Amino acid sequence: MCGIVGYAGRRNAQPILLDCLKLLEYRGYDSAGIAVVGDGLQVFKSKGEISVLEASMPAMKGTVGIAHTRWATQGKPTTENAHPFSDCTGKLAIVHNGIISNFMDVRESLVKDGHKFTSETDTEVFAHLVEAEFKGDLMDAVFNAVKRVDGTYAFAVVSEGSEDIVATRRESPLVVGLGDGENFIASDLTALLKYTNRMVYIHDGEIVRVSKDSVTIKNEKGETVTREPQKITWNIEDAEKGGYPHFMLKEIFEQPEAIHDSLLGRVESVDMEPFFTGNTFSSVKIVACGTSYYAGLVGKYIIEELAKIPVTVQISSEYRYSSAPRENPLVVLITQSGETADTLGAAREAKKRGNKTIGIANVVGSAITREVDHVIYTRAGPEIGVAATKTFVTQLVALYLLAMELGIQNKSLAAQARRSMIGSLRNLPRAVQDVLNQADVIEALANKYAKARDMFFIGRSINYPIALEGALKTKEIAYIHGEGFPAGELKHGPLALLSKDSPVVAIAVRDHTYEKMLGNISEVSARGSPVIAIGFEGDTELARYVDDVIWVREIPPVFSPVPVIVALQLWAYYLAKARGCPIDKPKNIAKTVTVE
Amino acid sequence: MRLRPLTVSEPKVMIPVANRPILEYVVDALVKNDLSDIVMVVGYRKERIMSHFEDGKKFGAKIEYVVQEKQLGNGHALSCAKDRLSGEFMVLSGDNIVDRKAVGDLLRAGSCPSALVVESDNPSKYGVVTLEKGAIKAVYEKPQEMISNIILTGMYCLSNKIFPFIDQCMSSGEYGLSNAVQASLGTQPLSPVFSDGLWIDAVYPWDLLELNAAALENLGAGTAGKIEPQVMLSGPVGIGEETVIRAGTTIYGPVLIGDGCEIGPNVTIFPSTSIGNSVTIEPYTMIKNSILMSNCSIGPHSYLSHCVLGYGVKSQSHMMGAGSEAYVNIVDEFFKVPHIGSILGEDSTFGTGVGIEPGTIIGAGCKISSGAKITRNLPNRSLVT
Repeated sequence: MCGIVGYAGRRNAQPILLDCLKLLEYRGYDSAGIAVVGDGLQVFKSKGEISVLEASMPAMKGTVGIAHTRWATQGKPTTENAHPFSDCTGKLAIVHNGIISNFMDVRESLVKDGHKFTSETDTEVFAHLVEAEFKGDLMDAVFNAVKRVDGTYAFAVVSEGSEDIVATRRESPLVVGLGDGENFIASDLTALLKYTNRMVYIHDGEIVRVSKDSVTIKNEKGETVTREPQKITWNIEDAEKGGYPHFMLKEIFEQPEAIHDSLLGRVESVDMEPFFTGNTFSSVKIVACGTSYYAGLVGKYIIEELAKIPVTVQISSEYRYSSAPRENPLVVLITQSGETADTLGAAREAKKRGNKTIGIANVVGSAITREVDHVIYTRAGPEIGVAATKTFVTQLVALYLLAMELGIQNKSLAAQARRSMIGSLRNLPRAVQDVLNQADVIEALANKYAKARDMFFIGRSINYPIALEGALKTKEIAYIHGEGFPAGELKHGPLALLSKDSPVVAIAVRDHTYEKMLGNISEVSARGSPVIAIGFEGDTELARYVDDVIWVREIPPVFSPVPVIVALQLWAYYLAKARGCPIDKPKNIAKTVTVE
Repeated sequence: MRLRPLTVSEPKVMIPVANRPILEYVVDALVKNDLSDIVMVVGYRKERIMSHFEDGKKFGAKIEYVVQEKQLGNGHALSCAKDRLSGEFMVLSGDNIVDRKAVGDLLRAGSCPSALVVESDNPSKYGVVTLEKGAIKAVYEKPQEMISNIILTGMYCLSNKIFPFIDQCMSSGEYGLSNAVQASLGTQPLSPVFSDGLWIDAVYPWDLLELNAAALENLGAGTAGKIEPQVMLSGPVGIGEETVIRAGTTIYGPVLIGDGCEIGPNVTIFPSTSIGNSVTIEPYTMIKNSILMSNCSIGPHSYLSHCVLGYGVKSQSHMMGAGSEAYVNIVDEFFKVPHIGSILGEDSTFGTGVGIEPGTIIGAGCKISSGAKITRNLPNRSLVT
């Protein structure tokens, strides 16, 4: 797939073309190019993403132009094979999306006629075909040239001395956007929405001539076609939500896929190359802020269990005030955006102290990745909702991978144990899907408790930080005063806060803390607080102790934080929905904090 | 109902055929005919659909979603989308497989309203039409007697003039679109459109195997991932990213394997098999003409032929899922199927040495202990010890 855009108007074409082209980057990004008609035809192309083109291209003057982002199908992704292509005279430039299936035959006959080719692509033949058919009118030339090609295509052509773009299509998308004194073409209307919402769809076999103040469409027989423009009423943001009412919900539901992507290529049952090589470490320090900090707290339990190394977790902004320990720990810095100022500062501090550093980040090439010795990317994809969901879960996945690696390196984790853990990791998307399938159950429960002003979250061991994260989600999204406690700490103070109006969410999966959790739950219900438990399916005991239960599938307890937090994300989401909170944009909170 | 247990957590339209959900083939056929403004009426497990298609950009379409809160019928579904539709539009059901030609033929017939019709060997399951002077004279819903062998496929070109008829039918408790179409015949003649394009109403598990084989016919070879030495690939074999094919494995295409799988050593896979993402297949296992959805794990020394495995099926070792001619029991009917293995519901787990009789359907989330021999269908969450 490739993407094409074109502009004909009064403004300088180059920045507008680039702007639109960036929105087509999803269609391909191995090379890109641009052609602008001003005083003569200027063409520039380069291998790599659109940002490479942007950085390397010269300023071009002219108000008409076309641009292209390529995903190689015929010919390698090189600068030579990038679009636009010119003919022998260099007076016209074309871009193409699709495949010309008979290009070898056409090319042969063109070579016989003396045409010179500079690339391996199928597209180039069309430039020469238009040249061969050109008898003064570009539209006629394209009309005759397309008759000689088979395959799928959307072409756009500009030529020196003309203020028109001529475009045509068969089976590849093409739309014309109508502006005021300017007109556009594109493979996808979303590329143009910033400039106009009036679109004319071009049908198979039609040819269109677009200039700054006119659009002429002709069908295959050469007859002029009139077509009313359509007004597009949705905006880019709505489009991206893909049917979900909020980004947060969309991202919650993307988690099985995000976990799969995060594991891809990193788990093999036998002789996998370590993705992180280092010395063995006598201790680990995890440094992060906000939700990433809670992921770090879970990481402490994971690494201590799998690699038997002591782990401390510290808030980034506090790290620099801690004194450097005598033995050098491995420092793990977790930041979704990779730009969190406090965590960046901590990374520099760790380096100054001479420690080995690992970054866990979601944004490729972000600042943290330049500050650390090794990066583990979480591959969660873009997260737009302010509440971290899929990035948290994939941070946990990264921590499982890191812990297994450390465990193998210091021989705390046997190969056989690792093998069975990989099986469990591979199965995590299913456990998460199972929770997602119960969204309606969780919604009904949330509606029941949505009026609460205070809500407490308790858990033990590895699920204690999950209680904290659940409380954070409830605070930031549903504006309920949520607090998380280690269940064993209730008796040392927090019990005083409980009343029948403060529901308690208890994470009580069947692990080595289960019996103790049941005891804590009894303490709580004795104070009259309603208890909502999260337990393993098949647990027949739990329901007798509590008011309501959310079931998650039974998996090895060390992995239980993953499905449990997904249940709590849905819990917070539906509480917020019931309370009418602005879910994707909670007050006073920004997604990425780049100030200290 | 008929595709249970494969629809336990998945809407029917999202069941994968050649690793793409059925609905994707429909979207593809529309986009290739320039119908890229799509309104999807979703209900059961709508998130699975929305998460896959998002806004449609990836598929060259612009997709909007309308939620049908209760699945009353397809006429009701269409009326849910009333606000989003103006003028003329095409209506299709997402769980039928259609190709570009079928859509194109209906589109190019040029008349509206019109309906795509086909001749059927088994018309009693469908809305049957009788024709007169090139127009549809009457519609009979699932007739008991033989009236005609021409059936409605459920694909129509309609205009917003249909909505008063849908409302009228719904007020008398009939929610099917064919009811409304029938009611409109008097005032709006409906043209029948015949097509030799593809239209398959996938309803039974063995249809999935057939569709899978047909979709794999067009598979081009494309291998990513890591292929160890002494692996033999013959014919078109698609291998996804970060998949490892270990030594001694032999794959005869067409076979499609997703991302992040671990296959082998010494596994043999025959046509026409589709394997999803993150699937593990351990040594000395042979798989023929089967569908394995994502996250399955099949232990060593197993044999699967003409089987459909839902998401996350796990088997320890020595699973025998042979295929042959068999009578398959679905709801209260028996179907004679020329060649069928077993249908295993999602997340079912199997111990060592489980044997499953051909034509057996095992529900979702079952736990089958080692050594069991399964000779009849099992409901969801069965325990066999």
